[in-house]
Amino acid sequence: MLVREIMTTAVITVAPDATLEEVCEIMHARNIRHLPVMEDGRLVGVITDRDVHGATSSLCLAPSQPKGLVRDAMSHPPTTAHPMDPVEDAARTMRSLKIGCLPVLDDDTLVGIITGIDLLDALLRLTGVDQPSGRLELRLADRPGEIAKLTAFISGRQLNIHSVLTYPEGSGGVRTVLRVNTLETRPLADALRKAGFEILWPPEKPWRR
Amino acid sequence: MAALIFSPSYRAYDFGSEHPFSPVRVEMAFDLLAALGHHLSWEEPVPATREDILTVHSETYVRAVEALSTGQKVADPEALGLGTPDTPAFPGMDLAARTLVGGTLAGARLLSERRATRVLNFGGGLHHAQPARASGFCVYNDLAVAIRHLTSSGLWVSYLDIDVHHGDGVQAVFYADDKVQTISLHESGQYLFPGTGGIHELGEGMGRGLKINVPLEPFTEGESYLEIFEKIVPRALEAFGPHVLVVQAGADAHFDDPLADLALTTRTYERLFHRIVELADSLTEGRILFTLGGGYSPHAASRVWAILYLVVNDLPVPDAIPEVWSKRWASCLSGRNVATLHDADPAYPPQPHKDEISRRNRLVATRLLDALMPFWF
Repeated sequence: MLVREIMTTAVITVAPDATLEEVCEIMHARNIRHLPVMEDGRLVGVITDRDVHGATSSLCLAPSQPKGLVRDAMSHPPTTAHPMDPVEDAARTMRSLKIGCLPVLDDDTLVGIITGIDLLDALLRLTGVDQPSGRLELRLADRPGEIAKLTAFISGRQLNIHSVLTYPEGSGGVRTVLRVNTLETRPLADALRKAGFEILWPPEKPWRR
Repeated sequence: MAALIFSPSYRAYDFGSEHPFSPVRVEMAFDLLAALGHHLSWEEPVPATREDILTVHSETYVRAVEALSTGQKVADPEALGLGTPDTPAFPGMDLAARTLVGGTLAGARLLSERRATRVLNFGGGLHHAQPARASGFCVYNDLAVAIRHLTSSGLWVSYLDIDVHHGDGVQAVFYADDKVQTISLHESGQYLFPGTGGIHELGEGMGRGLKINVPLEPFTEGESYLEIFEKIVPRALEAFGPHVLVVQAGADAHFDDPLADLALTTRTYERLFHRIVELADSLTEGRILFTLGGGYSPHAASRVWAILYLVVNDLPVPDAIPEVWSKRWASCLSGRNVATLHDADPAYPPQPHKDEISRRNRLVATRLLDALMPFWF
């Protein structure tokens, strides 16, 4: 998954000479928290709602006035991403700097922005339910061919796999969660058990012989 | 007395002998009632028309169902949820599905024309069908078509779904509708098909606050189920004030259901049905339409639906089942002697996590009420 697949392309920007009052109004009206700052077609900074609060709060040493300028309150130089960066790289950058957005630059052109919300959307796409489906959870052995065996078994029953999520458990097993296009996950789990797979969900019912 | 709707041609909605959504389950319920001395008479509906179907489903989708019904090829039927192992295409599928819709729609008409107050359709309940997609054994959404008829007759509808699976299709059709309240109690989508039905799915636009989901823990028992039902459902219905109640009475929350994980007994269902009828009597002048739904253990589903018939008709629910019934249906009962309408008490060994399950359900109910309160006051 690449940054360009999850970024917002209709980016709202401001000029460094805009006032904090104007920025505040845009943020409220558009329900957003991050605005790239553009001067002569070049990205020069990012102003966030936190920058605005920090600059204008009566608790800060030299509070700025509503007519104060973006250039004095913005964060710069901006940290950016490239449209072809993998999403996980962007997430790592945002996490390590603890920042909420990355303007996306292709050469020097601003082509988009990704925020924490876009990353949450990506997480939902990777793990969530976007089609009616049943859930199957297994523990596979950490060796070649295990997933192939599992998917071959499922394809043999003409079922479609909507998503696969696997992660190492640390104990030599690989936790694997599938979403499949069937309501009949119990019969499927029974068949997989018979074929030697370790199924964690759905479990066997305690009262069924 | 309740009006009963049924048609022998319901059995044409059949995905084959290996498929769990089998018409035999309803036949077993009928035969069980006959064995108990109740010989039923029913009103026979006509199939819903194409126009009826189009009040809910898209033209493209209906055209695909029609084409597959006559053996024509459709490009990428799987994208429409058709021709999958769950919802395989079969000859005559369009008419068979319209026949089921016709039953629930006939029930809705009895209510809108004030020719009946209590209505039971002995079929239908295809709550997973989406406007442009078949899903989970459901081709056309009979409930949504019937509810559409009721709202266009000026009636506000509360839809109550006690099938073990989330009533996602009905919810999707009316997600922004302010004349339709949907309440679905189901095993949590974190565990069970279709994966949706979380407490934060509250509707959108004018319909916000009117879509209510009660996801329950796997292995929830009757006691906890009824407690949560009582916490949420009466208050939700009172807050909305519907003219009519439409109930999808799936029987697959039964502990012996092969496709799901809740642990209700037929005793729970009996109490639940009594309570639902009582709510209709006090809130909608008795106007209520029941359909069947899921329920894939033949012995459980047939007993649950026989109990439904008895309760809806204010008839006593006996315990003993004449032996002749078990003998006649031996092949569907896997040789089990089913001698009573009520499950044994207790029906299964005590579950070690019972208290924890009840506690989690209570927490979910509290969080749901917190989310709903702003809409109720």
